[in-house]
Amino acid sequence: MPKLDKAALEKMLSARPAGGDWIKVGMSTCGLAAGAQEVYDTLVAEAKLLNAAVRVEKCGCLGMCYAEPLVEVCVSGMPRVIYGKVDKAAAMRIMERHVAAHELVDGHIIHRGERDAR
Amino acid sequence: MPDKTILLKYTSQDAPARTKEFLGLFTAALRELDALEGVNITGVEDIGLYDDGLVVRILPEGITYRNVQEGDIRRIIELTVKKGQIIKELLAKPAAKETRVALRNCGAIDPDRIEDYIAAGGYAGLKRALFELKPDDIIAEVMKAGLRGRGGGGFPTANKWQLARKAQGARKFIICNADEGDPGAYMDRSILEGDPHSVLEGMIIAGLAFGASQGIFYVRAEYPLAVERVEKAIAAAREYGLLGERILGGAFSFDVDIRLGAGAFVCGEETALLASVEGRRGYPRPRPPYPTDHGLWGYPTVINNVETLANVPPIIAKGGGWFASMGSGKSTGTKVFALTGKVRNSGLVEVEMGVPIRDIVYSLGGGTLSGKAVKAVQTGGPSGGVIPKEHLDTPITYENLAQLGSIMGSGGMIVLDEDDCVVDICKFYLKFCVDESCGKCAPCRIGGFQMLEILERISEGKGVPEDLPKLHEIATAMQKASLCGLGQSAPNPVLSTLRYFEDEYKEHIVSRRCLTGKCKGLLVYAINQEKCKRCKMCQNNCPAGAIPGDREKGFVIDASKCIKCGRCAEVCKFGAVDRR
Repeated sequence: MPKLDKAALEKMLSARPAGGDWIKVGMSTCGLAAGAQEVYDTLVAEAKLLNAAVRVEKCGCLGMCYAEPLVEVCVSGMPRVIYGKVDKAAAMRIMERHVAAHELVDGHIIHRGERDAR
Repeated sequence: MPDKTILLKYTSQDAPARTKEFLGLFTAALRELDALEGVNITGVEDIGLYDDGLVVRILPEGITYRNVQEGDIRRIIELTVKKGQIIKELLAKPAAKETRVALRNCGAIDPDRIEDYIAAGGYAGLKRALFELKPDDIIAEVMKAGLRGRGGGGFPTANKWQLARKAQGARKFIICNADEGDPGAYMDRSILEGDPHSVLEGMIIAGLAFGASQGIFYVRAEYPLAVERVEKAIAAAREYGLLGERILGGAFSFDVDIRLGAGAFVCGEETALLASVEGRRGYPRPRPPYPTDHGLWGYPTVINNVETLANVPPIIAKGGGWFASMGSGKSTGTKVFALTGKVRNSGLVEVEMGVPIRDIVYSLGGGTLSGKAVKAVQTGGPSGGVIPKEHLDTPITYENLAQLGSIMGSGGMIVLDEDDCVVDICKFYLKFCVDESCGKCAPCRIGGFQMLEILERISEGKGVPEDLPKLHEIATAMQKASLCGLGQSAPNPVLSTLRYFEDEYKEHIVSRRCLTGKCKGLLVYAINQEKCKRCKMCQNNCPAGAIPGDREKGFVIDASKCIKCGRCAEVCKFGAVDRR
C-alpha cells in the first residue's frame, strides 16, 4: 500500500460504500465473552454451505451488552434488524431463514425504535 | 419478499409468555382479513418500551403502538397495515433518543480495517486540520465546541491544549489516558476496541494543535483486546502515511507508541500516570507544576481521556458549532454512560448532555431488572456520589451533578434498587479506594482506612451516634488534605450518602436494623413460638450452641451467642425461624 497523500485520502473519503448484503457480529470483549466467536464461525460456515451472497463481518460493541452476542443483518428487501442473545442454533436459523428465505427469526430481535434505525 | 413487517412484544412483566399468544391472534386476524400476503410478522426480544402492555411496531414506517388490546388487532390490520393510516390514540411516545458521537462507529465498522474507518468519514478531520486550519484555528474550533474532559474532571480541552501550546519545550507529548478503572465503567475499552482509529485521529489532531510530535497510548494491561486493536490501528495508519514523517505529504510529522499500565487505579491520575510511563512507581505528585508545563520527562504534556479524543475528529470535520449545538449550557455535546447495576438493559448509552437521568435509566435502561423501584443512581464511580430517586428528573450536566454532590466522572452509572443498602454500597466503594490508595500521603492512607472501619462497625450493628459526625470530619479532612484526586474524592460516596440517606445510617446505628438485609451483622434470627413444634432440630444443628431450651419449655435464640449462620432457619421444617 503506497502512502496516502491529500488527494488519495479525498478519493477514499468520497468512495461509495460497498453495497450488497451483510451480517455484522459484535466482537468486542463483551461479545466475545458471551460467545461471539462461535456465532461468527457458524455464520461464515453456513454462508459457505448455503452459497449465500452475504458478507459476514466483525465489528465493535453496539452498546447493548445485556443482549450479547449481537448480530446485525442487512439483506435487501428485508428490514435491517439486530438479533440479540444469538447462539449457534440461532445463528444457523438467521442464515437459513432470514438470509436465505427472507423470513425474520422469532424471539431474538432487538428493535428499540429509532436507536436501531441508523 | 415482505412489504410490511410487524413486530410484537408483550412488555408488561406479569405475563411474558403473552407475546406468543398475541402472535397467534394477529396471524389469525391477518389470515381472516386476507392480509397475510407480503406481511412478515414476528415476536421480538426487546422492542424498546417497557411495561407498556402489548407493543406493536409496523415497518418500514416505524409506527409503534402501545397497550394494544385484543379488540384493537383488526383495526390495526385494516387501517395501518393495509392503508398505512395511523391510529392516533394507540401511538406510543417515542423512547429517549441516543445521539452517537464518540460511539459513532462502534458496532458499525470493522475496527481492524482502516478502509472502513475512512469510508465512514474517518481522517476527514485530520485532513481539514492539516491543510485548512492553523494550529490556533484547531484550538479555536475545539474551544467553540466547548469540549470538556470526559475522564472525570471536566476541564476544557481547548484550554489544556492552549496551555501546552504556550509552554516552552524542545518537544511535547500527547498522552491518551486509557487507564480506565472505575468499577462498572468500560466506555473507553469499548471505544478502543470498536473504533481505535477515532482516538488515534484525535491524538494526531491534538499533536498538530499544540505542537507535539509524539503520542502515547497509556492502556491498562487488563485490556488485551483493546491493546491488540490499537496496535493494529497504529500499524495500518503508518502504512497509509497517516502516522510518521510528513503525514499525508504535508509538513507535520507525528508518531505514537503504547505503554501498558499494570492495573493500579491511581495511575489514572495524571501525575501518577506520568510516573508510570517514565518507568517509575505510580505515585502522584503535587501540582503545580501542571503536566502542560512540566510533564513527561519534564516536557510539556497533554493528557486526554479516550472519549475526549474520540470526540475531536468529528468536531474538526463538522465544526465546533455543530458540537456546541448539542447539550445544555456549559456541558456541550454528548456523553457515554456505562449503565450497570440493577438495570434491565445494562450496556453503553450515549446521550446528549442535558437529558434527564430518568430517561437514561427508564427509557434506555428499561428500568430495574427486578421491577422494583429505583432507589438511587450512583454516578462517577468511587469518586462520585449517589443521586436519590427524587432527583432523577435532573438534566445530566457537569454542573447539575456537582450540585447534587456527585460527579460526571468517566460516566459510570450504577442503578440501585430498593434491595440495595447504602451503607453496604458505600463500604464497597471505600474498600476499593482503600485497596487502591498508593499510600504516599497520610490523609488518604489513614483517613480511608479509618472511615472504612467505622462503616464496617455500623454495618455490624456496633455503630454509635458519634460515628456520623466523625465520618464527616475525616471525609472533609481527606478532601482538603489529600495529595491527588483519588484521596480527595474517595470520601464522596460517604458524604453523598450521608446527605441523602442519613436516616438509613441512623436506622443501622440506633435501631440496629438494615431494612434490605444486606448488612449480615444486623440480621436477627428469632424463633416464632406459635409455629414452633419443639422438634429440637435447630438446637441440634446450631454450631454456636446459641439455642438453649428443651422440648418441654421450648427454644429461644440467644442473640449474644448467635453467629448468624442461618443454619437454624435452613433446617426448620416448619418455617418457625424468622429472619429480620
